[in-house]
Parts: sequence; C-alpha cells; structure tokens
Amino acid sequence: MSRQADPTAPRSTRGARVEVVGLSAAYGRTRVLDNVRLTVEPGGWLAVIGPNGSGKSTLLRSILGFQAHNGLVRVDGVDTTGMPRRERARELAYAPQRPVLPEAVSTRDYVALGRTPHRALLAPPRPVDRQVVEDVMDRLGLAELADRLLRTLSGGEQQRAVLARALAQQPRVLLLDEPTAALDLGHAQQVLELIDRLRRQDGLTVLSSLHDLTLAGQYADRLALLSGGGVAVEGPPSTVLTAAALQTHYGARAEIVAAANGPVVLPVRAPE
Amino acid sequence: MFRSPRRPRRSTAALTALLLALLLALTACGSSGSSNSAAASGSPTAAGAHFPVTVSGANGKVTLPGEPKSIVSMSATATEMLFAIGAGSQVKAVDSTSNYPTTAPITKLSAFTPNAEAIVAYKPDLVVLSDDLNGIVKSLAALKVPTLQLTAAKTLDDSYSQLETLGDATGHPDKAGAVVSDMQTRIKKAVASVPATVKGERVYHELDQTYYSATSSTFIGGIYKMFGLDNIADGAPKAGSGYPQLSAEYVVGQKPDLIVLADTVCCQQTAAIVAKRPAFDTVPAVKDHHVLELNDDVASRWGPRVADLVESIAQELRG
Amino acid sequence: MTTTAGHRRADRSSAGPPPARRRRRTVLALGGTALALLLALLAGVAVGAVPLAPGAVVTTLLDRALGVVGIHLHAGLVGSDAAVLLQLRLPRVLLAALVGAGLAISGAAYQGVFRNPLADPYLLGAAAGAGLGATLVIAYSPAQSIGPVGIVPLAAFVGALVGVGAALALGTATGGSSSATLLLAGVAVASFLAAGQTLVQQQHSEDLRAVYGWLLGQLGRAQWSDVLLVLPYLGVACLVLLLCGRALDVLAVGDDEARSLGVHPGRLRLIVILAASLATASAVAVSGLIGFVGLIVPHIARRLVGGSHALVLPVSLLTGGAFLVLADMVARVVLAPAELPLGVVTAFIGAPFFAGLLWMGARRR
Repeated sequence: MSRQADPTAPRSTRGARVEVVGLSAAYGRTRVLDNVRLTVEPGGWLAVIGPNGSGKSTLLRSILGFQAHNGLVRVDGVDTTGMPRRERARELAYAPQRPVLPEAVSTRDYVALGRTPHRALLAPPRPVDRQVVEDVMDRLGLAELADRLLRTLSGGEQQRAVLARALAQQPRVLLLDEPTAALDLGHAQQVLELIDRLRRQDGLTVLSSLHDLTLAGQYADRLALLSGGGVAVEGPPSTVLTAAALQTHYGARAEIVAAANGPVVLPVRAPE
Repeated sequence: MFRSPRRPRRSTAALTALLLALLLALTACGSSGSSNSAAASGSPTAAGAHFPVTVSGANGKVTLPGEPKSIVSMSATATEMLFAIGAGSQVKAVDSTSNYPTTAPITKLSAFTPNAEAIVAYKPDLVVLSDDLNGIVKSLAALKVPTLQLTAAKTLDDSYSQLETLGDATGHPDKAGAVVSDMQTRIKKAVASVPATVKGERVYHELDQTYYSATSSTFIGGIYKMFGLDNIADGAPKAGSGYPQLSAEYVVGQKPDLIVLADTVCCQQTAAIVAKRPAFDTVPAVKDHHVLELNDDVASRWGPRVADLVESIAQELRG
Repeated sequence: MTTTAGHRRADRSSAGPPPARRRRRTVLALGGTALALLLALLAGVAVGAVPLAPGAVVTTLLDRALGVVGIHLHAGLVGSDAAVLLQLRLPRVLLAALVGAGLAISGAAYQGVFRNPLADPYLLGAAAGAGLGATLVIAYSPAQSIGPVGIVPLAAFVGALVGVGAALALGTATGGSSSATLLLAGVAVASFLAAGQTLVQQQHSEDLRAVYGWLLGQLGRAQWSDVLLVLPYLGVACLVLLLCGRALDVLAVGDDEARSLGVHPGRLRLIVILAASLATASAVAVSGLIGFVGLIVPHIARRLVGGSHALVLPVSLLTGGAFLVLADMVARVVLAPAELPLGVVTAFIGAPFFAGLLWMGARRR
C-alpha cells in the first residue's frame, strides 16, 4: 500500500501504541468478547470490522474504560486501568457513533469541550485553549460555522465538529465508532480522507470500527475481523478481506477486486 | 248530686272550657313574646315550660314531643348556652371543641366532619349543631332524630333569640329569659362605662398571625361598632366576605389605637410578640400598651360569655 | 479541503475578533440583568399598601446606606412610614430577590444535570418533603419557634433535604446514578411524601387554611431575621453552582462522552444536586412552595445568552431575583391590602409564558 510509505508526509512520533491483551467483556450473562488480543502500532490505522453483534462497539468502549471488562489495555506500555480519568482523556479521544449534540450550543463552544482534560474543570478557558480550538476548526473547515448553533449544521458538518472536538483533546489515539454511519458516500469519503490526512500530519494512532468493508479496506492500514467473540483474522486489508473469510464470518457472497488503495468488496447475488 | 245527665255535663264542660281558655290566655300573655314560634299547648311540665313544643332553627321547624333528656350538642356555643340556661343535666354528649364549661361531657365527636352514626350512638332525642357539614342534617333527619341548627349569630339579637329558642326547646324558657336580660344589662353597662372620647378610635381585630381580620359586618365587628370604634378592616377591598386578610404593612399604615388579639390560643400570639413584629413599634396601640389579649373561644363564640367579651373590651378602652 | 457548499475558501485564522465580541456580549447580558434586578428592587420598595413618595423612599435608603459609613442626611421618611419601608418592605423585597435567585439557579442546574428542559428544583422530592414537614408541624407542634428560628421554616428546610436525600439514596441504591434512575426515584419519593401530607391534612382539616397559606407561597411575614437566616446557605449553594457552570456544559454531551473527556459524571451530578437542593431547601423554608421560577427563568436566560451553562447560571440567578421581586409586587398590589399567594402569581405569569415558548418553538420547526 502506497499510503504508509508516503515519504512526503511529516512523521511525528506523537501517536501511541495501543495493546489489548486478553480482553473479555459481557453484558449480563452474554459473553460478547472473549480473550481479544490486538495491537495498533503508533501512527497506524486499525479498522475493526465484523458482523452485527460481534462486539465492535463493546471493544471500543472497553478500551475507553466505559465498559466493565477483564484483561488489559496498554497505551505505550502503560496499563490504563489505574490511569486517572483525566490522564486517559489526554491520551484517548472518542468520537461516538451517535453523539449527543447539546441544544443551543455554538460549534465553537462544542469543540471547546475537547479542551476539558487539559484545564481545571472549574477554570475559564485559557488563551492556549482558545488557540487550539481555532486551529482545529480551521483544519476541519469549520471556521465559518464557528458561531452557528451546532444543531443547525448538516450531518457532515456535525461529524466534522465531533472530530474537531476529539482533536481538540490533542490525543495520541483517536477512537472512532462508525464515523461514516450517518453519511452519504461523498461525505463518508471526505471524512475518511480527513482522518487519514490528520493521522499522517499528526502521527495519530487511529482505531475505528467500520461497517463498510470497502471503505475499511481502502483507508485502514490493518483490519481486525471480530467474530464469535474474538479476533478471527487480523492483518493488512488484502489478507483479511477474502471471499472465504466473508463467507465464513458474514455468511455473505462477495467478490474481492484489488484496487489502487486496497481491496474492493463487491457483493454478488447467487446465480438462479 | 244527681241531676239529669246532660245538663250537669254541659255546665261542667263549659266550666272546664272556660278555665282552659283562661289558662291559655294567661300562658299566651306570660310567654316572652320572642320572634320564635313557640306554640304551647297541652300539660305543663317544668316551670313555665310546655311540651310538645315547636321551635325553629336554620333547618326549619322542629317539634319536640317532650322535654329532651339526652341532648347531643355539636356546637361549642350551643353547649355554653345549654349549660347557662340550666339544661346542663339534660346534655348527654358534646363535641370535641365544646370545652366550656369544663363540666360538659366532652367526647371525640367532630364538629368539622360530623358522623351521623357516631352521634346516634348516644341515642339523642335532640341534636343541636351550628353548621350543616357532610349533609349531617339530612342524615339525622333520615334517622328521625330531632335536629336544631343554630348558625353563627350575626348580631347580638341573634344570640338572644337562640338562647330563647334553646330555652323553649329544653324546657327552661324562664331561665333563658333571665340569662338574656343579664347579658343585656351587663353589655349596656359596659358600653356606658366608656368615655365618649373613645368614639372614632381605630381598632384592629386579629384572627390569626397572617393578619386575617373581621369587618363591621361581622358579629365581633358589630360589638366594636357599639363602642363607636373605627374598624380598620372595613377599608380592605375584599371586605365583602367579612373576614378579609390584611397585611402587616396595611395594619401599620392604619395606625390602630387598639389591637385585639383573638389568636392567643391557636397561634400563641401575645402583646409582647406583637410589639416585636417589624414596624409594629410605631403603632399607637403598641406604644400606648393597648393590646388586648382575648381567649380565642370567648372572642369567637356568641353565647353568654359575649358579655365577658364586651366587659373586657370596655375595661381596655377605659384605660 | 472543500466545504460542503463546494466552494474553496482561503484558510482564515479566526482567533481575533470573536473572543472580544463574545466577551462584550457576556458583559452586556450580565450587566443588563444586574441592572434589571436593581430596578426591580427599587420598584419593589416603592410600592405597597401604604403610599410612600418614591423620592422620599430613595432618600431614606441613601440615608441609611450612608449612615453605615457615618454620614447622616437627616432627611427622608420617619416614624411608621420609615418603619414600613425599612422593617417590612426592604427585607421582604430582598428576600424575594434571594428566593427567586436561588430557585432560578437551582432550576437551571437541574435542567443541566438531567439534560431536560422541563426539570425544576422540586424534581427530586424537595417540594413534597418540605410540604410534609411544614404540614406536620402546623398540625402537631405546639411550639411556634425553636430559639430565633420559626418551627415551620425549620421543618420545611429539613423536610426538603430529607426528600432529596431519600430520592438520591433510592436512585443510587441500584448502583450507578444515571439521570433516568434518579428521576424515577424522585417521582416515587415525591408521591409517597405528598400522600403523607394529604393524610395529615385530612386528619387536621381545621389547619387546612394555615397549611395552604404556606403551600401556595408567601413572603408576607418576611423579616430581617429571615434574610440573615437563609443568606449563608443560599450564598454557599449559589457559589458552588456558579462554579459548576462549565462542568455542566461537559455533562451536556451525555455520560459516556463526558467520561471520555475526563470527568466523573456521577460525582459531578451529585455535587450539583446537593448544592441545588440546599438552595431550594433554603428558599422553600422562608417562602413556601413557589413554582415556575425554577422552570421558566432558565429558559429566559437561555434565550438571552445561549446554551452555555457558564453564562446561563449567573444570568438565571439575576433574572430569577428580578422576576420574583416583580411577582411579589404584583401579589401585594393587585388586591391590596390582601395579598395573592405568590405561587399563584408566578403560575399565572409562568403558565402562559411557557405556552408561548412552546408555541414559538413549534412554529420555528
């Protein structure tokens, strides 16, 4: 894949390595994840794919610490279990699938929430906070929308605002839960291009769950296919996205076509 | 003497008829001439009493065949009246608010939520009450219990006529008349004992510490009018009901010369407490120590103790 | 990078004017509402059952204010007029401002914590608890006060805190303190306590007038001692709430996202609820149950300054004070010298206002 070897992209050592070791999580008595093991290299993009109910969201929530789980999560070798919440918030940023968009709040104020882990909770924003917010909004093309109410933005613009908030946290790892779920094809591609560019500029580690297999294959470095509570296949997209894997784990019939940036998954109907 | 049967009977009959007519005329003249219809006929029982008797109250006419011996009183004022006119021994039970006289047979019967069954358990031959709550009059009528409703008096004359009604109903019309005369005399004396300079002085009658008061159209207001006092509650716009709620500011602004507290028992108000209320130290009544503490019951009932009430007010007004 | 409009725009740094403009807007909002409060206070002391010349009122106030630093004007009202102004009206108007401010900021805090625009300070059983406490002492207590503190305010205060405490205990007993669970616990506790109150009222129907007089809200017996009594509690509670404004903004994105931003939503909610309940209990203790202030004023504040709690809380505080002072004026003047219960006045103003808000909101959509 050409992207990772792009020599013109600035290489910063900002991103952190994320290791998941022996993670198990359950909802009541239903075991969703069983002994999951994953590693994301600094600056890499791991897309977690899998059929419905395979535990993609649960995995992200467990890594973030909202979900009770057994097992370890390490960020740059440091166990996150004992980490104070603020410290964890400075390392890991989260953009949820269905973000709660507060009423009557401007885009700028919403993005500014991302600075929370960096300043005392009761203190007013400092100049550095304001600067970071403005920079982030510029990068994501939200400058004109800064004073508009968050709720009046379009779906794509709102998604960018959520991303902006996550970036305002100045994290080392970005966790995105279905970042393109509510977007049309054009906006989905825009958002993913954006994430990839930011990743390469800042050297962020990205861990995302993606529903659309083609988009996952085109943009992520590596894929992890969750199935049956564990990681069934893991590796570069071309290794993971095979007709056999799709048949086994999704029960789907598809043809895989190799394209410039990664495999393209073509669902095909069974012949009569 | 044996005469022919018809002629002696006719003359004896005529004589008896004459005697009866004479008696009738005497009793008719002897009756106190009150506004109540007290048709006396039949055999006399106690001194001046005649049964059966028909008296009327707010619920209409009630006929009592004989002297009631088992009276249940559901009104504190009626209780006081009954005992004052000498019918105390005929009273079987009184309600929970009838605390005077202390010899009254007080029970747990509630005057506010009267229960017909509880009342009838005492086997009354007369029930006296002041308010028709919970449809009690109808319930008692259905149970065929003679009921007399004597509502709150608006004027002193109402009190007097209620005393007389009870006197007739219980067989003590003379004693009732005496009580009424005594009251009238005492009140007249009390009013006369007050100097003429008192006329036009301003009075504030306090019913509770949230400044509920009574205007001149009420019973107590009428008493203040007798003394020629100006009632500050009359100026309140909502005075229509007779019991408007004033405000601290209004009372202070009206500068009353006399404050009468009728909330010493219910709400523990005293002259000292009133003096300590904010801004009340500028009120003339407080400055001149003309704050009269009355017992709540004496101030709110319309029985014989009204004379005590009037005497207390007169005493305060004299200095 | 193309915007959704499809135009390419040159990168523009926007770190300049906006902050200054926003600061100006903030100052304007806070200054404006503070001025409104001051004017309301002045209007409040100028009207009442006893007619006082406004000029003399101002002179008297100035005289007393300057008297503190030793300057005497020897002018203004005297005698009973001065007593009416300084002993009756001034404490009452100040108390109205304090109660209105406390209820409004509590309402705004509750609306933030529960992310629900219909939340009000009585949500978690404070009203029901205060009502039961007051009814119990009105019916059963022979004493009128314990030392300098009236028995009804004390019972109302304690009752309100007990009500909220019970709701919190019930809501967090099942582990976790999500808003939904707390709300349900509040409803359960409030229903139970209200039933208790109705029972006591039925047993003591002769006290009904006293109970309703208290329940419907009144400031008719306000004195300086009441002001001094509630000032510390209200002061502390309002201070805590004002400081929590930014924290409430973070809570606005939901528990999970708030956690990802490094805060403890449960802990934060608890602190805000405790502070708001303290403010509510203090307000209710001296004034009875005055509704709509905690519900309506935060909405007014949001219309003025937007949704950021850092601004909504202080603006609610000031606007609530002005609102209740004006409502108390109406209560005193409309049927003078009798007074309308304050809760009735706020309902008469609040309900149509709320309907108007809903209608405007529907039209916009």
